[in-house]
Amino acid sequence: MAVVTRAAPAPMGTRRKVGWARARRYVLPLVGLAVALAFLGPYIVMVLNSLRPSSDVVQTPPTFLPRTWQWSTFGDVLGDQRFLNWLKTSLLVATSSTIIVVLVAVPAAYFTARVRFAGRTAFLFLVLITQMFSPTSLVVGLYREFFDLNLVNTYLAIILTNSAFNLAFAIWILHGFFSSIPKEVEEAAHLDGCSRFGTLTRIMLPLTMPGVVTAVIFTFIAAWNEYVVALTLMLDDAKKPLTVGITSYVTGYEQHWDQLFAASIIAIIPVVILFAFIEKHLVRGLTAGSIK
Amino acid sequence: MADPLQGAVAEPGSTPAAATAPAASPVGSASSDGSSRGRRRRTLHGGTSIWVALLWLGPALLLIFGVVVFPAVQLVRAAFSKYSITGLRLGDAGTTNFKNVLNHSSLPTVLANTVIWVVVVVALTVLISLAVAQFLAKDFFGRKVVRWAIIVPWAASLVITAKLFTMIYDYYYGTLNLILTTLHITSGPIDFLGDDRWTMASMILVGIFVSVPFTAYVFVAGLNAIPDDVYEAAKIDGARPWQIYWRITLPLLRPAMVVASVLNIIYVFNSFPIVYTLNDRNPGFLHDTTITFMYKLAFKSAEKDVGMSAAAGIFNVLLILIVVVVYLRTLKWQEQED
Amino acid sequence: MARTRTALIAGAGATALVLSACGGGSGSGTAAGGSGNGATKVTSIKLVAAEYSKDHTAAFWKQFADKYKAKTGITLDVQVVSWDSIDQQSSTMIQNNNPPDVLNLNVYASYAKDKLLYSADEVLSPAVKSDLLDAFVKSGTYQNKMYGMPDLSSARALFYNKDLFTKAGIAAPPKTWDEFEADAKKIQALPGGNIGYAMPLGPEESQGEFSIWTFNNGGDWKTDGKWAINSAKNVETLAFMKKLAVEDKVTQNNPGKTNRAQAFDLFKSGKAGMVVGFSPLAGALDTDKKVNYGVAPMPTKEAGGTPQTFGVTDYLMSFKKPGNQDAIKAFYDLYYQTDQVNTFIKDEGFLPVTKSGLAVFASDPKLKVYLDTLPNVHLTPTDDPTWDKVKLAVQQNLGAGVGANGDPKAVLDSLQKTAESGG
Repeated sequence: MAVVTRAAPAPMGTRRKVGWARARRYVLPLVGLAVALAFLGPYIVMVLNSLRPSSDVVQTPPTFLPRTWQWSTFGDVLGDQRFLNWLKTSLLVATSSTIIVVLVAVPAAYFTARVRFAGRTAFLFLVLITQMFSPTSLVVGLYREFFDLNLVNTYLAIILTNSAFNLAFAIWILHGFFSSIPKEVEEAAHLDGCSRFGTLTRIMLPLTMPGVVTAVIFTFIAAWNEYVVALTLMLDDAKKPLTVGITSYVTGYEQHWDQLFAASIIAIIPVVILFAFIEKHLVRGLTAGSIK
Repeated sequence: MADPLQGAVAEPGSTPAAATAPAASPVGSASSDGSSRGRRRRTLHGGTSIWVALLWLGPALLLIFGVVVFPAVQLVRAAFSKYSITGLRLGDAGTTNFKNVLNHSSLPTVLANTVIWVVVVVALTVLISLAVAQFLAKDFFGRKVVRWAIIVPWAASLVITAKLFTMIYDYYYGTLNLILTTLHITSGPIDFLGDDRWTMASMILVGIFVSVPFTAYVFVAGLNAIPDDVYEAAKIDGARPWQIYWRITLPLLRPAMVVASVLNIIYVFNSFPIVYTLNDRNPGFLHDTTITFMYKLAFKSAEKDVGMSAAAGIFNVLLILIVVVVYLRTLKWQEQED
Repeated sequence: MARTRTALIAGAGATALVLSACGGGSGSGTAAGGSGNGATKVTSIKLVAAEYSKDHTAAFWKQFADKYKAKTGITLDVQVVSWDSIDQQSSTMIQNNNPPDVLNLNVYASYAKDKLLYSADEVLSPAVKSDLLDAFVKSGTYQNKMYGMPDLSSARALFYNKDLFTKAGIAAPPKTWDEFEADAKKIQALPGGNIGYAMPLGPEESQGEFSIWTFNNGGDWKTDGKWAINSAKNVETLAFMKKLAVEDKVTQNNPGKTNRAQAFDLFKSGKAGMVVGFSPLAGALDTDKKVNYGVAPMPTKEAGGTPQTFGVTDYLMSFKKPGNQDAIKAFYDLYYQTDQVNTFIKDEGFLPVTKSGLAVFASDPKLKVYLDTLPNVHLTPTDDPTWDKVKLAVQQNLGAGVGANGDPKAVLDSLQKTAESGG
């Protein structure tokens, strides 16, 4: 694999280097374990909290492991039609938003990376500025707009909102990737008779796959976790996404910490699955052969 | 206005990749598309028709103008309006709301908190992410699992992660205090969220924790986009690993680094759930950043004034705009120095 | 329009309760004619409701909407919103001139002041209004007209851990502040790191915790219609609370930064000897079955004083919009049917707001301690729009008064200033 050669030390050939080459087979996985634990640690607490009765979660003094193991929580949550509705909404909204963002951002990023035109700077700046508004402060205007368009309480409203707010990241990261590809690659394609669009889809996109994948993961996760706009625009319980719905588990008067955490864990899984599927494209990256 | 991306996100100077960069030369080949309708198009300087540009950028512009600009205009309108605490608009306010924000007694505290919060979280996030990304680029047994593990803090909802940390940090039943006292690292529990000396540090730790995964993956993508031949050439020249990293990897990672740092500055600045949730038991504005300050002005403080909050919102945008422009300018300037 | 008049049971048991002379509030207005002022009648109305619990709130409003539709032919769109977000949601709607038809919130006076609301005269049937408990009619009345219709209520009482009391050798719950202080010290002194009294004076609801204490010292937020936040009684009360926290050290860590949920968690863990609680806490304790607890009236400052009960009610209010008056009237008629309002309240674990409701709930011996005090509950001045802001100022500042360097008088002085300047 290409990555191995990259990380390999320079050919100095001392005995110490050989020792390291042998040791790294054990050291690296151990470091990996430590890194994984650092990032998973809090979520291990979360899992343990979902497996104990809610009152045990906030019990003083605390214990690492549940005093009584409560295995039924996940079944209860998954058997709840309301939860399934929220899950469905989240999947629909996150997937649609991601598709829209990729379809819209790829041409914009490619064009701005490759073509100089008046207004290019203004466009790129406009894109950047969209990120600077906190959604909380825009929610009033969004409500008015979608109310006037009769789109309050529709999926379309939050799909469009999520798409618009995540466009900037996608355009930015893709712009960077597109501009780092040598122009010669494209010119060769042109000589071969590819149109600009053909060049984009057949030559450039495969080369910038890590960027596209990053944009996809980013958008999906951002849409998956969006809260304040969905809260304001979605009225029906069944049309709420998970982020809004799961606030029901813990109110000022009644706390179901176990279910809240179980629901939150379930909510993480689709993202990890998506990631597992597209991660290899993140790794593949530029193949050396295509650039020569 | 300066091109915000050129020079910053585009290729770094004096690197192998940059030698072939499209840098400043206008691309003349734009004429090969949109040709079916392109007969009588007006050409702009640089040779590209506005209609062609619209074709490529139109959907993005539509989304931005449709969904972001309209509410932003409403925000500006709100900032110049006087509101009842119910949200009823009572009339024009002139610049009163802006003055009220600037004269607010807690503003200096809030601004200082914001600077500490953004600088520390972003700086440490970038440093840690560089190390994590470099590590993840290595090939070792279980790498896939580690990659999946790191995605989790990013995948989890921020509100829930923040809630989870309020429990981990709790003085009485918190897991962290349980660990610290069990291992006799501290003699008694620490009030991470209630003790004023600890609150900001506790929030910063969570801020870094949730920012590293995203940042690390931007770097992983950046590392993967570096052609292997570059490394091979360096190795043939006898460069040491550290030299390779310093002279080749880091400069080539610069576009990813700029994207990651600029976006992190914006996201961390605008980050709401962590500060709001971890700080929710503390009265007043002692540990608030400008974003939670803005929210509290509208709904939680005695002001309860959405007009004033909108004015604070405008200040927020201006503030982050200035920071980002200065940052990008500095980068560009550094580049020219090189 | 198929509006049916609600058949209200003027329960004999309820009317037998001697109700306090709370002033009675508004004169019993004549019900406004249901013409809707000639505007086109609406075919749907919107309710924004606060979420009390996951399992009951949404379910209740769903069946309610079905019944409402069957009765009136009008669709009731329900949006259930968490308490954390409902201020934001209602504000967003009003900023856009698109308020809901009915809103469920813990305040109403500012909305009445802004002239956004129907008064009870316009949308409440006389039979419904006369069934409401007088204390809540009074608290729902702004400038002689009732705008805030109580949806449910709660009353606070002292919860104590019987096992800890026995261990500490305390025979009965405290009746005076001196006894309270002594008992708290005894529990704090028990081995095992217990807490005498869990005091939530954090920003979530510090006005509630303070009300409970100061009402039992003869203090109040307003006296004779004037703000009295820095009255001698109030200063004395906050100084006593600070003493508990700082000198006696019989409270949990950082009471000025503790919200109710955290204080309740300590009590539910069996760690705290005492906490001021309400019926939902009792519900949770009964479910957990971990703590052997008792409920007693709050101790008073002086021996022989009459314990004052702090009560809270949330409100339903309805917004003036063309053609929605009849629909709203039908909404209230249905909501205040005994089988609706009391089902809602029972499911959520709260207390009734109607005289007929008192009769219904009287059968539950566990609720006796609250129900007896309910007609006399002492509320915060929710009928004053200024309170809507003062309350927030209290929440953000009161906790500082019980900190190690807190100055109770200075804190209350500054709050008084806030109140006098109109919030």
